[in-house]
This record gives sequence, C-alpha cells and structure tokens, in this order.
Amino acid sequence: MGANMSEKKYTKDHEWVSIENEIATIGISNHAQESLGDIVFIELPSVGNSVKAKDEICVVESVKAASDIYAPIDGEIIEVNNNLENDAAIINQDAENEGWIFKMKISDSNQYSELMSEDEYKQFLEQ
Amino acid sequence: MPFAGFNMPINYKTGIINEHKNVRNHSGIFDVSHMGQILIENNESYLHKLEKYIPLQLKKLIKNRSHYSFLLNKDGGVIDDLIISNIDIKDKSYLYIVYNASRKKEDEEIFISCAPNAEKIYKENCLFAIQGPDSINVLKNIIDIPNNMNFFDILISKYNNNDIIVSRSGYTGEDGFELSIPNESAENLITHLLKNENTMLCGLGSRDSLRLEAGLSLYGHELNEKITPIEAGLSWALDKERLEDENLNGNKILSDQLKNKLSNKKIGLISTSRSMLRDGMTLFDNNNNEIGKITSGCFSPNLNKSIAIGYITSEFNTDNPIFCEIRKKLELVKINNLPFVKKNYKKNGSKYE
Repeated sequence: MGANMSEKKYTKDHEWVSIENEIATIGISNHAQESLGDIVFIELPSVGNSVKAKDEICVVESVKAASDIYAPIDGEIIEVNNNLENDAAIINQDAENEGWIFKMKISDSNQYSELMSEDEYKQFLEQ
Repeated sequence: MPFAGFNMPINYKTGIINEHKNVRNHSGIFDVSHMGQILIENNESYLHKLEKYIPLQLKKLIKNRSHYSFLLNKDGGVIDDLIISNIDIKDKSYLYIVYNASRKKEDEEIFISCAPNAEKIYKENCLFAIQGPDSINVLKNIIDIPNNMNFFDILISKYNNNDIIVSRSGYTGEDGFELSIPNESAENLITHLLKNENTMLCGLGSRDSLRLEAGLSLYGHELNEKITPIEAGLSWALDKERLEDENLNGNKILSDQLKNKLSNKKIGLISTSRSMLRDGMTLFDNNNNEIGKITSGCFSPNLNKSIAIGYITSEFNTDNPIFCEIRKKLELVKINNLPFVKKNYKKNGSKYE
C-alpha cells in the first residue's frame, strides 16, 4: 500500500475504516448490513464534532433494529454522506463503498493500526 | 431467530420490505407451523366447558366458518387470541382451533381440561399461510377452491390424496388462505406453490409489518392477561349475549367496560420523521406528562414511514400533539386511524346459523 492510501481496516463493532491523507472514511461492514436487513433511516453525525474512539455518534435504523455507530478512532467529523439522508438503502446495496457514512480527520494514527485487517475481521466473524 | 421454541427466519433472501410488498401486490407464503392447532370433538359438554373461556356461542357456530376469538381469564383478560372453526373431518364434527405458539402451554391446559381427548394436530400437520391478492390464482390450480369461498370460510380439500384443512384467512389484511397439511406432503406442497414465480417465501419480519399495517393485534404486544378484548378495541369479536352469561369468565367486568368509559384507548401512530417507532417507547403530551406506551412499531413499506400501535390514557385529548421518546429525544408523532392500510378481504358472512 502507498503512503497515502491505506488498506481497509475493521472494528469489532463491524465498521470499516480506510485512510487517505489523514482523512478516515467510515461505514458499516457488508456483514453488518446483511445482519441488519433493510436499512430505512440513518441519523448522521454532526460535522465539526470532536469525538473519541468508542463514542456513539450516530444511529442506523433497519426494519429489525436500531444500531449505534461508534467512532472507530479519535478525531473530528469533517463530512457526512448526505446521499444516505434520502436513501439509506444505499448501505444495503454497497456498504463498503457508496454506503460510506462519515469522514474524520484523525488525531492518532496508532489507533488505526490497532484495528483488524480484512483477514483478521473474517476470522473474527467466524468465531 | 429463536421464537417460542422454534428457529424462525425473520426474512428469506430478498429482505423484509421486498417480501412485504410482494404480499401486498402479489402473494407470499408463510410457514406458520409453529402455531398451535387442536381438534376438539363437537360435543355439548365440551362446548359448555369451553364457553367459560371463549366469548362465543359455541353450540351455534355455523359449519365451515371461522371466528376470531379469545381465551379469557377470570378478570376478562386475554389468555390468548385464536381462530376457532366448526368443521367436519371424516364425518365427525370438530372445533378446529389455531392459537399462538407462545401460549401453547396455557391454552392446552384449558383445552385438555375441557375436552380430555382433544387432539393436538400440529405435530402431524404443518400450517402454511399464503397471503395476498394473487393467492387464489396461485392456489386454485393446485387445490380445489370453490368460487364462492369467502373470507373466514373453511373446508376440507385434498392434496396428494391427503385431507387438508383450507381456510380463507390470514393475518396480513390481504385475501389469503391457511393450509393445514400432513407433514409428509408439506414439502411437496410448498415446492409446488413456489413454482409460480410471482410468489415467495416470507418470514416473521414481513408477517409483523403486514399485520401492523392492517391494524391487527399481536399477543404479547397489544394483548396480554391484563388487557381485556374491550380495552384492546376488539369488542366486535365478543358475543354480547355471552356477556350476560355467568358461565363466561369476567362477564361482569366486560359488560361494565362496555357501558363505561375505559381508562386507556388503543391508537395508531405514524412517525413525522424518519425515526422508527418501536415496542416499549413512551408517549408524552406537550407538558412532558407520560400518557402511554407503544406496544408494536415497525417500518411501513406501504406508507414509507414508521408506524405503531399503542395505548394512551383516555383522558388525553387527541387533538393535542403527542410526542414519542426516541433515543432520549422527544419526537412528534401523529395519530392515524387503524388500520393503516385498508383490508382487502373477500366479503364476510354472518356469525351463527
């Protein structure tokens, strides 16, 4: 991987993170999307908020349940995916690309390195 | 997902919303074999004992008709809601009762105490519901359905030389049928029905959103032992003559409730935002006073909004705004008459002979 574009990493809360130029893009994993079922609504986080890793920052509502989205690492929310406001089902269609939820300017890249790689996440799912 | 001791799918591969829409527009098939099914001999002494719990005149039930009813406790509270039908099987007359999986223990204690030789047939028979406007077209090439069969009619038909119980009923607000079929032919029937590419298997998720849109009550949510059918807005299902009968559990409480104002009322609610209304959420007036609770909530694919059923205190004037606490925030919700989606049944007949 190049210096600017990182590999995609995963959290135990079934979120994915990819980093480009110190900006992290975050969404929920395809596995999370599948287990939530049809997603009907997302309450997006507020741009400008500084958050700590594990903070609950927004909520995804599916036909089955509401589930919290956590900040995967410390940082500041700098952008949200407004397309999801009108059509949260984009997450069902393409959770790990078009269905990204928010972007953060990260404060501590060590936190990022501690997250799971794709292979580690796959193993985590099998446990 | 574990449900009343069964492993039940919330949805099959296309998802709850797609299954829901397919039922409203075409048809869908639900495996409801987890539900209780019992046959009780149509014998006067059994019926008399059952009339203690069931608010109908059981001796007068019309043959080949079904009725929505209840088992009532001493206070008129609902032990279970059920569908009861009068049918002949192999020249013998029976009451055929379908009841909730989650209430099998309580219900069967009563059934067996009234009729010791009652036959629980759900071990030998699967129960499938095919629901939606096209159900008749999917079914009629496979099973003989008379043209004049109306909603809540019930009869014995044949499939693979097996007797099957066919009722025109269901719990989605749509036209449809329930089929009680011996286990050995059940898989064949499902495979046969699914050859029609406009139908599909549907899970518990769409079953819930369909019944909620149709304003139908669900045991454990709108109904429980502390709520009477009248408080649940279901007094239409009570035989009013039976309320005068001392033999009926809770008859005095129920007839008093009919005459007096109730302390709570059942309402339909619709979200004004994209937030989801869910079971257990608390309702408030505009002075932050708690006025009630939601008992069922879901996303309504037909209205593209979240909808709910709940109970509020009758003192609340429904011209005033209602707020629902959703994740620690109060959100405005609107009252909506039940049902949310018009029922689409093939016309009803009368109750008794």
